[in-house]
Amino acid sequence: MKKSKYILSNGLAFAEEKDMQMLQLKGTEGWHLKDFALGGYRLEKRECEEVQYSIDYRKLLEDDKHEYFEVFASSGWSHVCSKGDMHIFKAMPGTIPIYSDANSTIDKLSRLARPIYCVTFFFLVTTIILWALMTITDGPIQQISKWIVIFSFVFLIPSLMMVCSIYYKKWKQRIEV
Amino acid sequence: MKSLEQLTDSVFYIMAALAQPKHGYAVMSLIEEMTKGAFIIGPATLYTIIKKLLNEQLIMLHDETDSRRKVYVLTDKGRKVLAEDIERRKIMITFAETGLRGESSH
Repeated sequence: MKKSKYILSNGLAFAEEKDMQMLQLKGTEGWHLKDFALGGYRLEKRECEEVQYSIDYRKLLEDDKHEYFEVFASSGWSHVCSKGDMHIFKAMPGTIPIYSDANSTIDKLSRLARPIYCVTFFFLVTTIILWALMTITDGPIQQISKWIVIFSFVFLIPSLMMVCSIYYKKWKQRIEV
Repeated sequence: MKSLEQLTDSVFYIMAALAQPKHGYAVMSLIEEMTKGAFIIGPATLYTIIKKLLNEQLIMLHDETDSRRKVYVLTDKGRKVLAEDIERRKIMITFAETGLRGESSH
């Protein structure tokens, strides 16, 4: 029998809770989160167990790691895996949520948003500059700029959607305060 | 990062717990104990607020010799900010209590 499998993420900027619920459901079927994988998660087969998952985004210095994981562990959240600034924890159902107030939840969304804003800005600027270049030039330069505009546009649209999604979530948190 | 203009309940509790030197994780259990479980702070919220308080110099590392087990305590600025917030909350309580007793301030 297969010991490990891969599942696709719904996109953390859009559907973080859906991803975490999906992992919880897989746990009841005996598939447990092992690590992040490209665009998704790597699961491994163990006994069926009801566990809940939560994700946090945080840049950790080497010096902070011990304290950070210790604080989570002492409230029942054990560290499963990390990739870059993303850290996933698991706990028994009924454990207190890792975020207990709206202000710190908004801070979390801001940390998630920072790299997305940078990427969006980059593609936005590229699209605008190359669009201008495409309009004012002709010949091979125009051809090349046209292709770059199409290429960066393909990335610009999803990153703009992510920005909108994060704005919407932040706004929802604020009206709940 | 939003700054701490007015202390939220979570920030208030954490600062109160750090009036005496304490580890981060000890803050959570102390608050849970003191409020008999009525107020619980999640680990990510606690960690976020501790970093913010450090940043705003309202708390500091009590003993910097052991970087793995960090102990925090309120700074003088932190004590002042907490004392001011206690006064703000006292006014709220007095106002509500007076109202409930049916006394009019005029």
